Formats: sequence, C-alpha cells, structure tokens
Amino acid sequence: MLGSTVINHRQHVGLQELSALAGVTHSFLGPDKTYKFIQDDASGESALVRSCFRLFENLELTCAVGQLVHETIQAHQRVYGTGSGCLLFLAGAWSRAAVECLQRGISVPHVVAAMSEAIEVCEDVCRICSISIEGLGATQSEEGGAATPHGSGLQLSKKSVPRASRASCHKTLNISGQRKIKLSRHFYEAEAKTQPDQPEPPNITYLADALSHGCVDAMNLAVEANRLQSKDNQDVGCSTFDVTKVLTCVVPGLPEERSCVLPGCVVLLSVEQASVALRLREQPVNVALINGDLSHAFRHLGFKRPAGIQQVSDRSALLGSSPEEEWLVKVVALLLNLEVKLILVSGLASEKVIQRCCGHRILVVEKAKASVLKAFADATGGVPVTYATQLTKHCVGTGAKVATWRELHESATAVNISARGNGGLVTVVLTSCVRSKLQALEDQFWACAHRLHRALKDRAVLPGAGATEMLCVRRLQKRAGHRSETSGAPTEAEGAVNPYRGEVFRLMADGLIDYVSTVMFNTGRFSKVKARTALRQQLQECNGHVGTAAKFSQVFSEGENEDGAFVSEAKPAGAPAMKVYDNLSVKQEAWRKALDLVLLVLQTDAEVVTGVEQKTAAEENLMLL
Amino acid sequence: MVNEVTCVAIASRICFALVMSRHVKKSPSLCTDRPLDNADICNKLSLLRQLLASCFGPTGRLKQVHNSIGGCVVTTSTSSVLLPAISSAQPFVNLIKSSILNHVSRFSDCGLFAATLCLALVERAKQSGLGGNVAIGLNKHLLGLCVSYLQREDCGCKVKLDFGSSQHLVTLARSIISSKPACVLTEQETLHISKLASQAFLLTLPCANPGTVTLGRTVTASVEGHSVLASAVFPGLLLDVTGALCPHKAESLNSSPMCVVLFSASLAGDLPELGDGIVEVPSGVDTDSQILDQLLELGKQAVKDEVKLFVCQKVIHPVIQQYLRSQGIIVIERLGVTLMEPLIQLTGAQPVATLHSTLPAKAYGKVRDLSIRQFGSKTMLHLHPPGESAICTMVLCHRNETMLSELKVVCQKTENVLRLTLREPSALLGGGCTETHLAAYVRHKSMNEVTETAAVLGCSQSEYLLGVEGFCHSLESVAKALEHNGGNSFIDLTHAHHWTLRADVMSGCMEDMTGLCGCGLVEGSPSRKWTCLNSKYTEFSPASPSRDSPVQPRVLDSFTAKLNALQVAVETANLALDVRYIIQDVN
Repeated sequence: MLGSTVINHRQHVGLQELSALAGVTHSFLGPDKTYKFIQDDASGESALVRSCFRLFENLELTCAVGQLVHETIQAHQRVYGTGSGCLLFLAGAWSRAAVECLQRGISVPHVVAAMSEAIEVCEDVCRICSISIEGLGATQSEEGGAATPHGSGLQLSKKSVPRASRASCHKTLNISGQRKIKLSRHFYEAEAKTQPDQPEPPNITYLADALSHGCVDAMNLAVEANRLQSKDNQDVGCSTFDVTKVLTCVVPGLPEERSCVLPGCVVLLSVEQASVALRLREQPVNVALINGDLSHAFRHLGFKRPAGIQQVSDRSALLGSSPEEEWLVKVVALLLNLEVKLILVSGLASEKVIQRCCGHRILVVEKAKASVLKAFADATGGVPVTYATQLTKHCVGTGAKVATWRELHESATAVNISARGNGGLVTVVLTSCVRSKLQALEDQFWACAHRLHRALKDRAVLPGAGATEMLCVRRLQKRAGHRSETSGAPTEAEGAVNPYRGEVFRLMADGLIDYVSTVMFNTGRFSKVKARTALRQQLQECNGHVGTAAKFSQVFSEGENEDGAFVSEAKPAGAPAMKVYDNLSVKQEAWRKALDLVLLVLQTDAEVVTGVEQKTAAEENLMLL
Repeated sequence: MVNEVTCVAIASRICFALVMSRHVKKSPSLCTDRPLDNADICNKLSLLRQLLASCFGPTGRLKQVHNSIGGCVVTTSTSSVLLPAISSAQPFVNLIKSSILNHVSRFSDCGLFAATLCLALVERAKQSGLGGNVAIGLNKHLLGLCVSYLQREDCGCKVKLDFGSSQHLVTLARSIISSKPACVLTEQETLHISKLASQAFLLTLPCANPGTVTLGRTVTASVEGHSVLASAVFPGLLLDVTGALCPHKAESLNSSPMCVVLFSASLAGDLPELGDGIVEVPSGVDTDSQILDQLLELGKQAVKDEVKLFVCQKVIHPVIQQYLRSQGIIVIERLGVTLMEPLIQLTGAQPVATLHSTLPAKAYGKVRDLSIRQFGSKTMLHLHPPGESAICTMVLCHRNETMLSELKVVCQKTENVLRLTLREPSALLGGGCTETHLAAYVRHKSMNEVTETAAVLGCSQSEYLLGVEGFCHSLESVAKALEHNGGNSFIDLTHAHHWTLRADVMSGCMEDMTGLCGCGLVEGSPSRKWTCLNSKYTEFSPASPSRDSPVQPRVLDSFTAKLNALQVAVETANLALDVRYIIQDVN
C-alpha cells in the first residue's frame, strides 16, 4: 500500500495536467506567434485564436486544474491585459520541475519552500535589473542606433541615486536607492546633460518600439492613441496612458492599413441614425447620459417587480393610450424641452425610443462604456441618471459634438461623437478585410496598449528578449552552487537550510531556459536543440567571470550584449538589431501567479467532486463516499 | 507499516453521489445489521479518515472541491469548508460529518483533530474485537481521565496564557494560520497576518467600560491581487465604495461628528412584500411614482435633520440617490446584512425598517470622521467611531482569489480562537505534543488502577488493557497524522513530547535528534531517550517541562476548542460504536 501510494504520488496527475494544458500554448509565445483553430465537433463552430486567454475562453474545461488555470488567466488578463502566455508557460515548466523533484524523492514541503525562495531570487533580479524609463532612449541617436552594449543609454535620473553613493555605484549595485537600477559607464557622461530636478520625459517612440514585441502596427496605434490623449490632457511628455479611456471600433471590409486613431468616441450607426447625425454635425449639442437601459420597462438593479397587482379600470380608461406610449410621450417632451440632441445609453435602448428620437432628430447611442459616460460627464458637465424621466437642466451636458467620420457601406456609418476636450477619450479604429482576423488584431492592440500603459505606470522596464530570464537563470544557478553542508536536522528549526535548495533552484532555472528557448524556437530560426545549446553556451561563458560582486554590474552589461545577440540572430540578416524591453510589474506578477498555481496543485492530493451519479463514478474510476 | 497516513493520489477522485428520486413502486426499507461489520461502510469510513487526516497540519495536503459540471474550484484543507461539500448516501458518514461540523461551527478550530481521532477510535475499537459496550464504557472512562487531567492546574501539556505580552497570542494565531498551506504564505507573511489577527482581537476588547462588557467585532474586507503584506487592521469600519459616486476628496468630509441614518428596509421604490394577496389599483394610478414620492419625503426629512451619511442595507432608488447627493449627502447602498450589526454598534444608529413614518430622532447615529482609503482597485470609506468603540476592520490582501478565500476563513477562525482565550486563558501545546503527552499520561494512570477500574467497568483486565491501548494508540495516531512526507514519529521518554524525523534521514539514528520537539518546548540532547511512536514502551509518568524555563512553545493550540473536540470525538465514536442497525428508506 505504501509503495503504490508513493508511485502515484511521484506521478502527480494534477501537475501533469497543468503541464499538458500549458503545452497547448507554446506557439503563442514571443513575437512570432501562430494562429490556432479551435473546432467544436458537435456544433461545427470554430474559432481562430492567437493568445492564451482567448484559447481558454473558447475551451470548455471541466477538470479542476483546468478551471483553476482559467480563473488565474482571467484574473491576470483583467488587470494586466498582457502576459498570460508567459504565466501559463512557466506554470507548465515549473510543474514539470515539481514533478521532477517528487521523482527524485524531495518532499513536498521542501519543494514548496525552495520554490518560494527561488521566486524571491527572481523578483530580486527583476528589481535589480529594472531600467528607469526616464530618459530612456535619449542617447540612441548619438550612438547611431546600433545595438552597442550600452546602447540603450542607461542613464539615471539624478533623483534616484543619492550623491554619496554615486562614486562606487558604477561598480557595485546601488543598494541605497529605493529601486535598484541598472547602471552603466555612461552614467557619468549622461550626468552633465540630465536636469537635476525635472525627470526627463520618456522617449515614447523608443520605448514603444522596444515594447512592441513584433506587433509594430498595433503598437504604432497605441502610441498614436497616447499622443492624442496626452494632447487632450496637455501632458507634453506623454508620461501617462489611461487605457480605460481608449475605445476600439472594429470595422470589417477595409484594408488593414486604414486602421487609425481618432479623438473622441467612434461608433457604428445605422443609416437612419446616421442621417440624424449628419444633421447634427458641427454644432455643439446638449447631451443626456443614461446609466441603464432606455426603455419603458427598465427598472434599476434591485427593483422587485410587484407580483400581485391588478389593474382595475373603468371604461373611459380604454380610450387612453398604453403606459408605454404615455412614457414615450413624456420622455420625448422632456428631451425636447431640455433641447437634448444626443443621448448616451450604457445599456440598450428600445427600438421604439430610437425611432421616435430619430423622428425628433435626437441621436441615441447605445452600449456606451462606463468610462465614456464618465468622460462625457466630466467634459460636458452632465450628470448620468438612471431614468430618462430624472433628467433636469442640471443633468444635461452641453457642448458635445457629432461628426460623420466615414460611410462604410450601405448599412453602417461610423460617427464620431466628442465633447470639448474629450476628457482624454480616443478611439482606435481597427480595420481588416478578413473578418476573422479582427478579434486577433483587437487583442494585439490591447496587449500593446497595456504594455505601454504599464511601462509608464511602473516608470521602469526590464531588459527583454530573454535577458531578464537568463539573468535569473544565472543567479539561480549561482545560488544553487552554494551547497550547504548541514545534515538534516530532525525537526526543521527556523533558519535551517533546505538541503534540496540547489536541486530545486536548478530545475526552476531550467524552466526559464525552456521559456527562452521556446521563444527562440518560435522565431523559426532555431531548432529547440540549437536554441538550448546557444543558451547554455552563453551561460557557461558568463560563468567564467562571475565571481565577485564588483564584477556583477559588468556581467549585466555583458548579458545585455549577448541578449542583443539573440535578437540580432533572430532578426532577418542585415536589419539593425533593436532593443527589446518587457514590463516589470507584468512579468513579476505573471511569474508569481504561475508559481502560485504550481504550489497549489503540488500540495493537492485529491479532488472532491460533488453531484456525481453512481454510474459515472464507476466509469471514471471514482471512489464514492 | 511505518506510515499509516498515506496520501490519496489525485487520480483517485473521490465523489459523493446524490441519490436521484425516481418514480417507481415503493421499495422496502433497507436494514443494515451491525453496520461496522459491513465492508462497504468500513471502506467509506477509512476513505473519510484518509481524506481528512491527509489535510491535517502545516504540511497537510490540499483538496480541490468542485462539482461535476465544472464551476468554481475551491482549494482547501479546512474542515469547515471541506466537510459541507461532502454529502454521502451513507448515513454513517453523515452522522460523523454533522457531529464534527457542529463542533466547528461553535469552536472554529480542531475540526480535523476531532474527525481524525473519532475515526481512529472507531477503527481501533473494531480491530481490537472488544464488545461494543465494553469499548464504549472504556472510552468514556478514559475520556474522563483526560478531561480531568487537562483541567488540572499542574497539567503538563497546558500553558497559562500571559496577557501581559502579545507573544502568546501571536503564537496561538500563528499556529492556526500556518496550519493551512492553501493560504500559500511565506514565513514573513504568516507572522504579519498573525500579528494583525492578534491586533484585531485586542481592538475588539472594550477598555475600561464599567458595567456589562460587550465584545466588539472584526469585520473582514478582502482585496484580491495585492501583496499579503499590504493587509492591515484599522479601528472603525471600512466600507467598500468602489465605483460608487463618492466624494473624491476628503475636503467635503469635515471632521466634526456627523449624523448618520441607516435603513434596513429597501429604498428601491418597489412595493413592500404583499404576501399572497392581490392589490387592486385603478388604472391611471402610478404606484411607482407614489412610492417614490414617499421615499422623497424621507429624503427631505434626512436633509432637514442634517444627515451627512445615508446608508441602506439594500438598494436605494436612483432618484433618491441623485436628490441626496445634490444636497451634499454621502450615499451608500447595498451595504449587506453582515455589515449592519457592526455599523449599528459603531454609530449607535437604529436601523429604520419602515418607510411609512417619519424618522424618529433616536434612529440617528453618529460618526466622528470619514476618510477615503485606496487598496489596489478598491476604494474604501473609513468610518471612525464617535467615541470608544470595539469595532475594527481587517483588510486582507492576497494575490489570487483561491488563496484569499482560504486566508479569510483562517483569519475568522483565528479571531474566534483568540476570543475563546477570554473564557479560559490557557492553551495546549501544539505540534502533536499534547496528544503524545496525554496518551502517556493515560497509559501510566490506567496501569496503576487496572484491577479496580476493570471491576467497576465490568470487564476483564485484558479487555481493559486492550481498550486503553486502543485509546492511546488513537491519540498517538493523530499526532502521527501531522507528518505527510514519510517521516517517522517519535516520543521522548521524559516529557512524552512528539518528535519527527525526516524520511531521508537515516532512521534509527535517534541520537541525531538535536532539534526541538513538535511544540518547541523541549530541546533534543544526547541524554534524552526516544522511542518510535508505534512501538510499545514501558509506561512512565510524563514530566512537565520546567515552568521557569525561558523557552516558550512555538506551537500552541486552543485549549477550549481542543478540549471540546476531544469530547466530541470520543462521544461521536461511542455513538457510532453503539449503532446496531441502520434503517434506510430508499424511496
């Protein structure tokens, strides 16, 4: 009995499931992604996906681990908008590491402790090698744009380094600063140029290029959106990017080059409504903001419809009109009285309302996002209300504008509605001749927008193209080398060193190597084996002169050099190598979540399934309680 | 066999069938004679024991609870979460389950201890071949021995809690929090949460109030996607106002005491419950607008009475909200029933349950101060009490929902356990030391009174010895259940504390045990003698560790919860042993 338990334990099914799920998404890693078709055999429906979270959205996973993965990815995507592929890949790679640990007979608590320690090492590496975005890319032109070792011009704003520590900090790490920032010899040269008190505005174009990860077109749209938004907010340096105020409008049937960014909110309208819009163009109009549906039957959330109400009527009432008609008349009269010409509705508007409003040349726009309502409220002075009957002079906003942007085809016209200053609202119009590509294009744009937004929010980025991962690998392997000679104490005293730390660290590092080599493999220029060999070789070369702390910063720049080399190898010959950056907070969070998944599954030894019928239980080999 | 507690492989999914109702001819009732002789029932009990014992302690294994159609997955090792998910067709399983759940609902802690001990006792009693009545009588007697020993002043496994410093409280909290690995906390995070839990407990104690003392309470708010170390405790109440239209700046929140009104009735504008009756309304009469008018009257009165904070447990009609906000009042709707009581305690307001009368002056409450706090994506309105109040809010943050929900359960459990210390300011040594110590005591005590007691209980001496062995072995098996990684359990022959040796350390080298015992009170030394926990040892009177020793235990268990759990376990086991027939109506 004991034996069989151990065998089962060593082939932890949950971890294997996790690793198998992660395997599905290998081709979504890195700048060179491939599409996947998902086909439902039962309904014949299919979906074209190109990202990890879309894949999981389209799969119906009933197994517990699948559910857990889905929940984690959704939560990550909701907040970060990018990085779920990295999350899942590492969850898979590290779950294989955990299985390997179990097979080597390392006990679960030791694996948990060592893996938690390893992730702290990695997070520390991220902190150390994060690069402030201030002034990033400013010296690029001076250095001719080539991928020189310190090509990114890693000067620091003076604020982040106290004067006293500066003399030594080009050799050792900056210990005193709040965030540790990568340093280079160019620091001194840059010193004279930087303004001591004003943080230099980041070079958005350079930053965006480095964060585009192959989606150049999508990133250009994001940069343009940021530029327009910043212009609106009088933010000269484009130093923030509020993605909640960015909208996308998907237009099929136009070539992809026609994608563009417009200030305000672009919506597709029917011909009938478009004609109303046409009449309203180029004049400031009053706007009403409705938080809910615009219909007679709509009631606010939490309102219970009375059950036992009976209408008692005398004959004369039959001559009157229906309650809906009465409501409609009342609302339209109110709107006309307040001279409202534009209504933004967060929910839906009933067909009758739209038609009646059209007749009175009032434009109704449905499904407005909460951020749109808020931006319009801020820009026009309007107050969102739940019922149209609530509208008063005080609630109606002024100075909104309606303009026809483009007639697309007979049945749809794109109309731009805007307000004074727009409140930072911009719309990205995404076009494609291939309808099924639109979703992927939209996702790509949002990924780029979020990357830019995060970089500006973090005020720092990480060296990309696998550089950060390889630095973590090196650090983990170095730490793994320090084998502690203490024999196992009978009880885990506090501070006792985990005897398996080295082994676990090495396996975790292998997971990261796996990640980088898969990204390299996806470029199509490396075989898996060749990628791994290249990485191992590079590591060995570096290990030659890793030794003293004084050399550490030098190693970083060496690392950069080589990472530049990865990229240049991955690029078509002749093209100039370009710097690649990753997001700091996204990467840290994705790694943390990946490990959390592994640790939860690793420590789980049984599934408790409720609501199973006896018959299926027997088929699936379940134990019934 | 060295390791009794084995891990159920994840492949072996355990499930609980629901008996479907069918429209067939009534079948006769099913009667099971001597259910404990039934192999199926025994298998199920053993499965239940494995399932629960494998969750036990800081290195316990987690269970993924979900239903067969998909839906959310709960990852847990907490009995209060796991047990409600278990519904068996076997009444025997449900009997034990509901008994444990009842204990947990009252005492929060030691649910797994009770379940493991109870099932071990049943299993041992069956194996020993003792007659049901003999086993029951013996268990009762031995329980009595244990209980009276635990309540003695000089009990060797009890620690008097020192309220003069926070150390004992933090240790007690830490033992509970670190025993749930699904929280996925680092050492530092565990300590942080333990300190917060102790702090929250202390904040709920009213100070220097003459007359009857009412304990306050801790309200928990959770924030997903934030670091655990960002968790914090605040005196007063924090209400989630994320997304609600709230004053953005603190300037509108002046700091003189503000008038508060609190509604428990819905202000959504719908008709109150009609029951089954029918209301006839003449056409042309708009009931909605009439109710709205009435609500507006209430609003106007609130404005007249200078209410600054208007709170409703349920929904407030948007028109009323708009009106109140335009008058500079802060409006909070959908407070939820759980926050009503703390808010009443904090503000002294009386909840208004009807819309049909004017607001009485005594319904109004007060808050001293309001401020806005931001936690990740959540915006909270912080209400400071007008005077001394024992309400505090614990904001718990964690990286994901799974771990956060376990953390929430554990923190609530900790709060309850810390409260139990007010009833009985003691704690028991944790880490399995209480169990081994108690077993050694029972062995020693009962050996000295074999003849008399056997006669009193009406059994033979050998039966008596068999029963004692079964009882002690069951207690020790609970201590052993703490080890899930193939390690070996030992007992020292002076204090009878619990020791474990990792599986990869050469077994038998007991001389190598230089660390600490399970609770951390006794230190290993070459002069100490150990024996394997499942080996026979000559009984001895376990010594109490020196009281003056500066060494403090590292693991403590709740005295009140564990004492009750011990009683529940033995009594439930006795009840199970006493069942002669199970009669099941299978229709």
